[in-house]
Amino acid sequence: MKTFVPEYIISAFAAQGIDTSKFVYATHTDFADKSGYLDSYIAVSNEKMYILYGEEKVVKTSGARRIVAVYEPKELEIHDLSSLGELTLERLLSTGRLCNEQDHETSILLVFSIGFISDIEKLIKVVKNIRDGIEPLTDILVDEELFCHKCGTRYPEPNRKLCPKCMDKVSITRRLLGFFGHYKQKVIIIFLTMLAGSVFSMITPLVGTKFFFDEVLMEEGSFYGYILGAVLLILLVRAVGVALNILYSYVLARTVPWIVQDLKLRIFEAMQRLSVGFYTSKRTGSLMNRVNQDANNIYWFFVDGLPYVVVNLFTFTGVIILMCVLNVKLALICFVILPIAIIFFRILWSIFRRFHHKNWVYNSQLNSMVSDSVNGQRVIKAFAKEDTEARRFAEVGGKQALVDIHAMNTSSTAFPLIYLFMFLGQVIITAIGGIMVLEGEITIGTLLTFIAYLSMLYGPLEFMSWVSNWWARCVDSAQRVFEIIDAKPDVTEPDNPVILDKIRGNIELKGVKFEYDPATPVLKGLDLSVKAGEMLGIVGKTGAGKSTMANLIARLYDVNEGSITIDGVNVKELSLTLLRNSIGIVSQDIYLFIGTIADNIRYAKPDACTEVVIRAAKAASAHDFIMALPDAYETKVGAGGQDLSGGEKQRLSIARTILQDPDILILDEATAAMDTETEASIQKALFDLQRGRTTIAIAHRLSTLRDADSLAVISDGKVVESGTHKELMEKKGEYHKLYTIQLEGLKVINMEA
Amino acid sequence: MEKSTLEAQTLASAIDIGMIDLKIAEFYVTPGGFTGLRYGENDHNRITLRRAFPIGNPEEYISVADKTNKEIGMIRSLSELTKKQYEIVVSELEKRYYSPTVFEVKSVKDKLGYVYMELLIGKEGAKYKKNCAIKDVNKNIRMLDDDKLAIFDVDGNRYIVESLVNLDKKSLKRLEPYLF
Ligand SMILES: Nc1ncnc2c1ncn2[C@@H]1O[C@H](COP(=O)(O)OP(=O)(O)O)[C@@H](O)[C@H]1O
Ligand SMILES: [Mg+2]
Repeated sequence: MKTFVPEYIISAFAAQGIDTSKFVYATHTDFADKSGYLDSYIAVSNEKMYILYGEEKVVKTSGARRIVAVYEPKELEIHDLSSLGELTLERLLSTGRLCNEQDHETSILLVFSIGFISDIEKLIKVVKNIRDGIEPLTDILVDEELFCHKCGTRYPEPNRKLCPKCMDKVSITRRLLGFFGHYKQKVIIIFLTMLAGSVFSMITPLVGTKFFFDEVLMEEGSFYGYILGAVLLILLVRAVGVALNILYSYVLARTVPWIVQDLKLRIFEAMQRLSVGFYTSKRTGSLMNRVNQDANNIYWFFVDGLPYVVVNLFTFTGVIILMCVLNVKLALICFVILPIAIIFFRILWSIFRRFHHKNWVYNSQLNSMVSDSVNGQRVIKAFAKEDTEARRFAEVGGKQALVDIHAMNTSSTAFPLIYLFMFLGQVIITAIGGIMVLEGEITIGTLLTFIAYLSMLYGPLEFMSWVSNWWARCVDSAQRVFEIIDAKPDVTEPDNPVILDKIRGNIELKGVKFEYDPATPVLKGLDLSVKAGEMLGIVGKTGAGKSTMANLIARLYDVNEGSITIDGVNVKELSLTLLRNSIGIVSQDIYLFIGTIADNIRYAKPDACTEVVIRAAKAASAHDFIMALPDAYETKVGAGGQDLSGGEKQRLSIARTILQDPDILILDEATAAMDTETEASIQKALFDLQRGRTTIAIAHRLSTLRDADSLAVISDGKVVESGTHKELMEKKGEYHKLYTIQLEGLKVINMEA
Repeated sequence: MEKSTLEAQTLASAIDIGMIDLKIAEFYVTPGGFTGLRYGENDHNRITLRRAFPIGNPEEYISVADKTNKEIGMIRSLSELTKKQYEIVVSELEKRYYSPTVFEVKSVKDKLGYVYMELLIGKEGAKYKKNCAIKDVNKNIRMLDDDKLAIFDVDGNRYIVESLVNLDKKSLKRLEPYLF
């Protein structure tokens, strides 16, 4: 038998003299109602439920520096499972309670903070399984699915299998470099030319200084007096170095844009692949910021940063080696000075990274505000709030400016200090080296070369300090980009998708539960069924979960519990493409893409011919208003295009769906934004469209549901009533109430008219 | 301009806010541990209490709803309740709006869009450590006023830093990059 009982809980219960060998499931919850906030452990065996209240105290043990948690039990409760009624869960805002329902009485067994709700849900399921006489842990996810396979960290969000710990800066950089993989040849050329270039710049002091002073200017030198030859040699070395530099910049410029293009495409593709949930959980402002700004950051780092990193690192190590070869004693003195400088740089680096992060957050806030105010202009104007908006903007902008000022102040004091420090190092070397020359330990050429090399170190060091800030920004950007690329879509294509030849359209929803945000259920056990070819009408208040249900059928999200089947096949097993192609949704909020009206209508079937497009538009009563536009079917719509009214957009959307010719049609308040007359004319088109297809029609106006074969009333995430119009009217329940209210309303209007 | 303010006044005052008449109201705790309300002739054995301004004004405008979430009425201010009644109502509210106080921020790690925090939370005399993950920090780490901070983790838990000024230096430094 499978069990799940963490070790620390066993020991806590064992200390109470309880036989823990029969435990099948146990969990930790964080606070109990009885005597304030406590840690409670709760365990079930086949016969009993144990609740132990106590406190996990954090204590510092003497000697050891580690802090350990010690459990101090306070109170133990034991319930016989047979004496408990049905266990239920009640969600409050930031807490939940485990309740016992028995003889029409409900009592609270345990109160816990909301984060533990899934553990308690499992507990209830375990108890249910035990009572049903099946394996206790049936259908319960413990461990494996919740933890990262690589490192064992718990996924922060169980349904978004993304492990942040497995991603660190080094691996992010490695991944970024991985994008060079496809361009191996060019990358190798770039590398070789770069390295050769820096070799030449490194030997310049050897030739230009040491060779010139010690061999050409010195009487005992082997090339004494050959000034012209020496100068030409120096020039040649330099020229080759420059030529190599030009060559690699050239190859680089022809490679990197492709790599970044690759990256951008990967981001864009990943965004297409992601489920709708990803978009609704992030602020659009920061998402847009991601794609453009982040890809640009990475671009510039690749073009302008990374190559120099390689050159400078190479030069740095090369120069250090050469210094050691020239004179170990002097080199050692340098090595005392350099680490101090590096520490300085590292401190600066971490400060700048912080500034950058803050800056980025402000920036995306500003971006959101701009898009907010662009989209909300009408409301802003209507309430005369232009000044307030500007003030709000100025506030955040001001904060960002302060961060910038702070960053600049830090750099403008820190860098000169570092230079002073470096100059000090140079002075020390000159002094000590001077003494060594006087004592004949080294030649003048060696000292001068040494000083030349020392100054060659400053370049890379300075660059590294500055580029590390840049690198930080790039990693920061890459981190966010990879978040998009790596995010596993919640809704995934099954491994062996079922492909049906023809979808007939028997839809069945069983016990469907769903929540967008943790612990705020929207659908709470919804049961529905529609027979193939029939029309189901759905009514319910706003916020009841009607649109959510429609989205679940099209599998834009996956249900948390329960199942949705089409022709007996769970939607999770159906091929996603097939599913989405066979379901047509005319939804409440309609999105028009950038393009012409015709393009938008033929979105589902891009190869549809002009005549079909016009026919679809006519069927949707859209033709007349389209013809009234100057560019008719070629009118540009979408962002920056012609503005259309809500009803007009809905008609385009209906035309789009008519053209798609889906097997299952979902009309989510498809005609809500139209006047009664247009609605009536569209009704006919819709009626034709519905004929022979399974249709789910969600509507406010009950008159639009006249033709429905059956009706369901959804309230608070559940179906509260269902049946035919006649049955529901006789029942005199919720539907009857709605119907009479609307009828009354109509009467009043008619009387006034 | 003047006319519209006048209209707004009349519009707003036209609606009855439906305050509970505390003279005929009695809150009590059921044997099962729920909170109930005897109100005039009616006995609601299970009520829900909600704050209209949970952040800025938690002590005023409390909505009292029955089992079916239909509002019975509102309490203008908790201070109008007798001591015993106050305790019953507040203890129910605290269960709903449970948010442990943060005493210390032991560590903060920023990884791939998530911020991992190790917090010392609880109450005086019973503090414990808690690890939590926060996503979308702009949204989930929020200043409630100039000095009070709320942190919402991915599990839906909320933590409150009562006063940033009184927080120790190290904790503040760790939180600092996320305060806006
Ligand atoms: N993307 C979303 N994220 C979080 N909550 C949502 C989202 N979409 C809808 N909701 C919530 O789900 C509930 C049901 O919404 P919806 O299905 O649109 O209702 P209806 O279509 O019946 O008016 C509402 O309370 C709404 O606030
Ligand atoms: Mg809706």
